[in-house]
Amino acid sequence: MIDFSMYGAKAPTIKAYKCLTCGTVYYPAPMVCGKCSARRDPVTGKGWETFDLEGSCVLLTWTRVWNLPEGYTEKYLLFGIVQFENGLRASGQLEVEEPKTGMKLNATVKESDERPGKPVNVFVFKE
Amino acid sequence: MAIKVGIVGIGHTRFGNSSEYDLADVMAYAATDALEDAGFLERRREVDQVIVGNMASGMFCHQSAVASSLVSRMDMEPVPAELVENGPASGASAIKIGYMAVASGMADIVLVVGGEIMRKVSGWNATDIVATMLHTEAEYNMGLTLPAFGGMFTRLYMEKYGLTERDLALVAVKNHKNGAKNKYAHIQAPCTIEAIADGPEAAVVNNYIAEPLRMYSTCPVSDGAAAVLLVNMDSPKVKDFRKKPVRIAGVASATDTHCVHNRKDPLRLDAVRLAAEKAYKMAGVGPKDISFAELHDAFTILELAISEEVGFFERGTSFLAVRKGETEIDGRLPINTSGGLKSKGHPVGATGVSQAVELVRQLRGEAEEGRQVKNPRYGMSVNFGGFGNNVVALICAKD
Amino acid sequence: MAIDELEKKLRPPEIPLKPYPSKVITLASGEKMVVREARREETGILLGTIYPLIGVSADYYDIVAARMYSEVLAWYRYRVANEFVLVGSIDGVIAGIVNSRHVTNKLGMSLHTLAIKRGLRVGAQLFAAKMEHHIDVLGEEEVYIVAESPIGFKRWMIELQLEDRSSQFPDVRSELGGVPTFVLTRKLWDAVRDVKCTGTRPVSEEDLKSANKLIMPSEYVQIPGFKR
Repeated sequence: MIDFSMYGAKAPTIKAYKCLTCGTVYYPAPMVCGKCSARRDPVTGKGWETFDLEGSCVLLTWTRVWNLPEGYTEKYLLFGIVQFENGLRASGQLEVEEPKTGMKLNATVKESDERPGKPVNVFVFKE
Repeated sequence: MAIKVGIVGIGHTRFGNSSEYDLADVMAYAATDALEDAGFLERRREVDQVIVGNMASGMFCHQSAVASSLVSRMDMEPVPAELVENGPASGASAIKIGYMAVASGMADIVLVVGGEIMRKVSGWNATDIVATMLHTEAEYNMGLTLPAFGGMFTRLYMEKYGLTERDLALVAVKNHKNGAKNKYAHIQAPCTIEAIADGPEAAVVNNYIAEPLRMYSTCPVSDGAAAVLLVNMDSPKVKDFRKKPVRIAGVASATDTHCVHNRKDPLRLDAVRLAAEKAYKMAGVGPKDISFAELHDAFTILELAISEEVGFFERGTSFLAVRKGETEIDGRLPINTSGGLKSKGHPVGATGVSQAVELVRQLRGEAEEGRQVKNPRYGMSVNFGGFGNNVVALICAKD
Repeated sequence: MAIDELEKKLRPPEIPLKPYPSKVITLASGEKMVVREARREETGILLGTIYPLIGVSADYYDIVAARMYSEVLAWYRYRVANEFVLVGSIDGVIAGIVNSRHVTNKLGMSLHTLAIKRGLRVGAQLFAAKMEHHIDVLGEEEVYIVAESPIGFKRWMIELQLEDRSSQFPDVRSELGGVPTFVLTRKLWDAVRDVKCTGTRPVSEEDLKSANKLIMPSEYVQIPGFKR
């Protein structure tokens, strides 16, 4: 039988980038390393490594937005900025009953088609 | 010897709803006002360069190349014209580039026009279009918008310094009071602190937009245009203008990380500080010399945070000064004498030029009664692009 | 008027409706808007207020005004069943009018929301007052709501998260144009009441007095150069 596993529908992930020359990590991806100026080639990826940005993180700040842009049908959405253990930070949606700055959350990723165009990967930080 | 650049003509439409008009017409209206103010309308083809500031005419109005269309609308061919885009700081960037054109010696007279029509599309679409400034993968795709970042910044500020929602409402009351007297303001209606903060219905009347920011802490969506005519102050043509030029003493800009989460310190607006420092240096003045300021209050928290970054107040204390009335028209340091973005409105591409028009009106003593600063010497404006990742500071002087 | 046998037949059956308890809202400008139920004898003033907007095509004012005019007139002439009309006034001057029908003890039919004073969320406040009357005062379980204007649609359908019964059209439909409908249930109203509905009760003697004699607005932002 034909092995389709490499096309398998995996859970969506969001990637962070590591410069292999000096070891600095980034999210989102730069084109030039801020520390050692190594170039990143988006086609070959040479000299850089990607890894999944996931797992436990701390909530730095959050908001509940009532006026959502065109395309969203929710009454409101919770958003927050978190910091991961490796020092990287990210922004995304929150699925939390009562958000409080400083609380520990778990970063997950969902695929969303709320924005126009192809579906995109969205961070959802959960309790 | 460095070339001195001055503003010799100003024009401004009534900000509000101009969505039934063509963008080029709205900008031409302001441009014509500026040329008339300078007494130069018949000689407009002697302008060496037109610079237009506009953020997103392609998305809002389905139009592009707006600098080119403006020149023709003004019957100003073959004057060269280019568009400058810097998000909501497009206006001040257009002034900065116009300044550079004069200071380089390549142009003696430059017409700078900033304009935007945002209300042809719905409010939800406008929010989406403005959000395109954000990092696509890491911010826009998540559903984040500018108010969302305003809210998150405000929360951090409140938790660190003790700012309350009522303090933000006080700023709105001040700005609406000023805007009510400004003939160009979008909203010319004062609001009361009882109605938007203290009263029993305030929580619903002044509803949350992006907690803890409320409706009266966020600026309206507006259409409009503003224009300034720049001149080389040593040009022999200077005497041909109706009024003495108001000198641009300093103009500078700086950038910061695109992603808000990558700012070194989430509570600092480094681009504001750096732009202001460079502008102060150029002008040979410091924060203590500034008589009044127009600070980009797209979200009221920004009026407070920017006033600290440019050195008017110690970090975390600006709202204490507001409580004491220090930033009122008759206070120690009037801020947003025009009504700010909150009351004057915020057609994104026009705001930077609109702020400069206010600086000139105040320095010339031409502001309406009740909102004229007494004997101003230096006026400063800060135009905030993105969520603080591209900021322009401008200082004008009355010599 | 004398109600003879024929008139009795022409009038719809009446369900006694609890009166709307008046309230006052301080709008952002500091102005106080008294929200109270309109009286039939005020119909002339209401119609005179609505009428000029029939010519304004922007924001669908024309169709809302035309339909509300006929609904208020029919209410006055007892030719529509169990309609109620709420009016918001500032110093007596009408700022907005809303109307609806109490169809059964369990079902309400939202008719129209007309905001004359703009920039102060008068429409939103009066719409919320209308829903308050349907569910909290009259005790209905759900209200059918439709919109003629795209803005109205988004404000209500999205901000109140109305239940979408448009797929059940045409069996489930609004009287307003017979179109597919959305529904505000008691549960949905409970979820948004605190954020959408406000007002102080009871209304002071002074404020009630100022709202007692309704006055037609002398200017309309929607009609530049309007002269009554």
